[in-house]
Order: sequence, then C-alpha cells, then structure tokens
Amino acid sequence: MSTKVPSESRPIAPTPQWLQALLLLVPAGVWLALLLVIPTLLIFELSLVPNIKPGDLVNPSGLGNYWRIFQSDVLNVIGRSLLFATGTTLLCLLMGFPVAYWIALLSPKRWRNLLLLAFVLPLWTSSLLRSYAWISILRPTGVLNTLLTSLGLPTLDLLNRSPAVFIGMTYSLLPYMVLILYASLEKLDRRFLEAAADLGATPPQAFWKVTVPQTLPGIAAGSLLVFITGLGDFINPELLGGTSSMTAARLIYNQFLGATQNWGFGSALSMVLILAVSLAIALLIKYGDKNASSL
Amino acid sequence: MTSMADLTRLHLSRSRRRFLQTSIAGLSGIALSSCGWTLAKVQTDQVRQGASDELHVYTWSNYVDQELIDAFRSQTGIKVISDVFDSNETMLATFQAGKARTYSIIYPSDYKVSQMVKLGYLSELDHSRLDGLQNILPRFQKSVHDSGNRFSVPVSWGTTGLIYNSEKLTEPPTDWNYLWTHKDKLTRRLTLMDDVREVMGAVLRSLGYSYNSTDLQQIKQAYEKLQELKPAITTFTTDAWRDQLLAGDLSIAMGYSADAVNVINQNPKLKYVIPTSGTSLWSDTMVIPKTAPNPDAAYAWLSFMLQPEVAARVTERLFFATPNQAAFNQLPDTLKNNVTLFPPQNLLDKAETVAPLDKSILELYEKYWTKLTSS
Repeated sequence: MSTKVPSESRPIAPTPQWLQALLLLVPAGVWLALLLVIPTLLIFELSLVPNIKPGDLVNPSGLGNYWRIFQSDVLNVIGRSLLFATGTTLLCLLMGFPVAYWIALLSPKRWRNLLLLAFVLPLWTSSLLRSYAWISILRPTGVLNTLLTSLGLPTLDLLNRSPAVFIGMTYSLLPYMVLILYASLEKLDRRFLEAAADLGATPPQAFWKVTVPQTLPGIAAGSLLVFITGLGDFINPELLGGTSSMTAARLIYNQFLGATQNWGFGSALSMVLILAVSLAIALLIKYGDKNASSL
Repeated sequence: MTSMADLTRLHLSRSRRRFLQTSIAGLSGIALSSCGWTLAKVQTDQVRQGASDELHVYTWSNYVDQELIDAFRSQTGIKVISDVFDSNETMLATFQAGKARTYSIIYPSDYKVSQMVKLGYLSELDHSRLDGLQNILPRFQKSVHDSGNRFSVPVSWGTTGLIYNSEKLTEPPTDWNYLWTHKDKLTRRLTLMDDVREVMGAVLRSLGYSYNSTDLQQIKQAYEKLQELKPAITTFTTDAWRDQLLAGDLSIAMGYSADAVNVINQNPKLKYVIPTSGTSLWSDTMVIPKTAPNPDAAYAWLSFMLQPEVAARVTERLFFATPNQAAFNQLPDTLKNNVTLFPPQNLLDKAETVAPLDKSILELYEKYWTKLTSS
C-alpha cells in the first residue's frame, strides 16, 4: 500500500501459512461457491425431479429425466451439437494455424501487436450482430450472391443450411484459436529448427517434427476452448441453420422457457453437457503438456 | 410472442450492472423451507409500499410511448417508468427472479395470464374501480384464459396469418392448404413461426381439427403433414422474415397481424391474409400483480387506458387493434376498414384462441417439434 520505507525496520512477525492461504483464496472461493458450485448443485438437484416447473416443490425422486436423454430424437440433437462443435474446431484449427504462424514467426515485429489487434477487433461487436451480418451476406439475394452473379458465377444457396452454421461459428471463434496458437508459437525455440535444418531435415519435416510437437499444448488448449464454446452456441445455429438446426443448448432453452416448461429434464440435459465439458478439461489436464499451464 | 432472436437481443442490451442485480435477486428468490425448497417462489404476502406518485410498467416495446406517459401524468400527476420485455417467458422469468416488487402494471399475453393466475401471482381486479370495462368486446370478456376479466384487462388483440409479397406470387394465398398445394414452387421460400402451438395449431386447423386438439391421432397426423411441407420451409422464425420477404428471398411468411401491420404500412406491396379455414386469435392484457408496490396508481392506469379517447388515440399512433368498442367507434374510417387490424366477422367467427393444455399433451407437441427440428 505505502511506498515509503519505514525508517525503523522492525522485524515483522510472519503471517501463518494457513492465514495467508485463507486471505488469498477466500474472495475467489466465496465467489465460486456462490455463483458456480451452489448453482450447479441446485441444477443437479432439479435434474432429479420429474416434470418440475416454477412454483413446484423440489422433491428429488430418481433418474427418470436422465433416461429420457437416450430417446432417439434427443440423441439426434446432441449429435448435431457435437457435429457443429467438432467441425468448427477443425475449421478454426486449419485456418487459424497458418495465420498464427505467420503473425508469430514471419510478420515484421513492429506490426505484430497491430495485426493481433486487427484480428481481435471483430470481438468488440456483439456476436448477435455478427450473425445478422452473415444473414445479409449469405441470403439468396445477399452480398455474396450479388458478387457471384456480377462475376458470372453460379449462385450459392447457403443460408438456413448447415454450411452457414459452420461459417458463422468459425467466424465467431477463430480469433480465440489464433490468440492461443499465437501465444504458443511465439515461445517456439527456433534453435531447434536451425538444428533440424543442420541435420538435414527438409522444412516440412522440421515443421511436423519440431514445430507441431512444441505447439501441441497450444493446439489442444485452443481446440478445447473452441469446442466447448461451440457446444454451447445457440445463436449461430438458430439464426443461420434453418429448419433442422435444433442444438442441445436450444433444447435446454425450450425446457426452461418453451411451452412445456420441464425444468427437470432441462436440468438433466444441462448436467450432461457440464459433465461432458468437465471430462474434456480433465483429459486435457491429465494428458496435456504440463508446460501448457502458462497458457 | 417468443422469438430467440429477440431474447438474445435483450441479453445484449442488458448492462452488466443490471445482470448482476438480476443474479443476486435470483439467489434471493429461492425460498428455503424445512421440507426442501420451492422453485422460483415469489413471496406474494410481503408487499413493499412504493412511492405513491410513481408507477412502474412492464410492457411490450410498442404499447407505451412518451405521449401516453405525458397524458397520464397531466391527468393524474403520476410519473410512469416503463420497461420493456420481448417475450412472455422473459417477462415471467424476470418477475420470478426478483422484479415482482417493482412493477404495478404488467402486460402479459392471454395464455400467460392463466399461467400467472395459477401460480397465484395476480390480484383479482376490483371492477368497481374500473370505469369502461363494459366497452371491451364480448369476445375478450369471456376469454378462455381469464373469463370475465377477473384478473386482466385486454389492451390489444390480433390474429395469426400469412404475409406475402404480392409482386412475387401470381396466385395469392387464401388458406393454409395453399402452402401444401404450392409446395413445389415454394421450396425454401417459406418461413413458419418459431412457436410449437401456433404452427401445429395451423396445421391441425388445415386438417379441419381444433387449434387445441388433444386427440393423439390428430396431433400425429398434423406432425406428418408438417413434415411433408419441410422442403418448403426455410426456417422457423416469428418475426425475422421482413427484409428477406421484401427482397424476394422469401415468398410467404407466417406471422402475427401486429408485425404484419407495421411492415405493410411501410411497404404496400406486402399483403396479409387470414386463412379461410381458421386462425388463432390472441390478446395482450394489463394485470396488477399481488406484489404491486403501488396498486392505486395501477388502477388509475387501467381506468386511464379504458377511456375510449385514450385508447383510440394510442391505436392511431401505435397501430394495434383495440378491443374497446367505444374506442373503435372513434377511429378514422381508414383504420376501421384496415382488414389486417380489424378482420371481417366471418373470419373471426372461425378463429380460436390457443388454450392451455394438459402437461402430457404439451409434452407430445414438444416431442413432435423436437423431432421436426432435429431430423
């Protein structure tokens, strides 16, 4: 607090370790307990009540809500969510890696921060606005098709189909992937690349045997972040996906705010999503590179 | 009138401070008791007294304007603070999350009134304090959702129908079945509403059944008929069809008359049609919650809104259909003859209100909807 150095330096009694831990952890701990742990436990309790809606007494009575998840239409919805999230992750990785590589290793150093900033700039506008922009671009008489027609090319009917969802989601999540890969690539020890070249490795060999393994933790962290965020995205599928775009997130929304108001089933679905995501993170911690913790 | 786009739009406009307030209020909304807890309980027995010269109104975006607020203030001296919601579900969730003690007047739609009555949130209206209630059209005095206006005063009503671009269709639609007979020409050029009951109801009606069918066989038949139409449907949206309909990307959109009126006012080439086999009739109402901090001001507002002069002027300004016969009589002829706002009697006779159904039947509707939107 004070910048003045006390003229008489008295020996200060060391704070006991348990007190230090308490002081440092309590604010975040209380926050997490109030806004994460307790709500999650409440959702879990709700998931055990069949057919609960606002105003009902919470009276846990079994796993009925969980069995419903195994109905074919619900599995179908979960499958579609996984497909959207996985496809988006792969697209982000394929497009994000070259960009991050170029910014981190090849671009002029003084431009680097500006380039990164330019890449993150779209995140400053709301994601909903960006989805609406894609509607204007992709619709049958939209920007894209006007351009294609003026070039004498055949038009593309993308809006309200799965490709539009992939485009919208990839666009939304690409900056996150690039930022994380950039952080990883920036730390790349180039002496290994020089050594590889000295020992006769071709550039592609050096890339696959040196660059990729060294950035693997970044790739894993970036992919996980994009996958998890993609799994919970319902704006893009909803606005761009057309008639067959029901995702797990939207199905949960329907249970809470739709016609039937089945909060129990909605909670069970939420728990399954929370578990799936937790499992993915646990796997990353267990098998991911320990050095990745700095990311 | 639910729409996902609207919901997300609302979330964006929410400031962080307001979000925190709502979260904290949400925590306090959980009532613990010795035998467990009740989900989102609203304590209706503890009423906070609000400032007597202030009235907080929770309404849809197009129902209250500054002119109305000023007129009310000059008549009563009460200052109106209005907040808007964009779906009944958002309104109820906000109400349950701790805003119950803020608002003295809320504008739920008809079906939400019956839900809120069941939950015990609404106070029974003292009709002796409401002059002009007898001017409400009989149809809306005996609504299935609140017969006799015991809890709610209707403020606006409308129908569900088809909005189409008259320059793009050679033969204009007249009934729901038009969609099936022309489905090959309509491939990916049609939007239906993002609402199970409205869409399934329309299909049931096109089969000659009721909007509120509880017959398992009829509901299944409607689902199969809807599945047949799927190649023509490009997406399910309640109100995001406007630009694409104008540009010609879409030929027909299913929507509420209230949305249609606004769009047609700006683009006369768009037309609205009420299907001849029957449509749904909805109304939005005004209610006083039991938790209202200022019930006296709330009654003043209801009486004010029931004045034919006030209701007529606000209908002219904001283009919604008033259920007040005395107000209707004061409207200029152009509005009286606007068939989108005030459809002819023969079509209204065939209209139904989307009624509350048993939970098990609703689950069936929802199940078919999930099937339809996930296959």
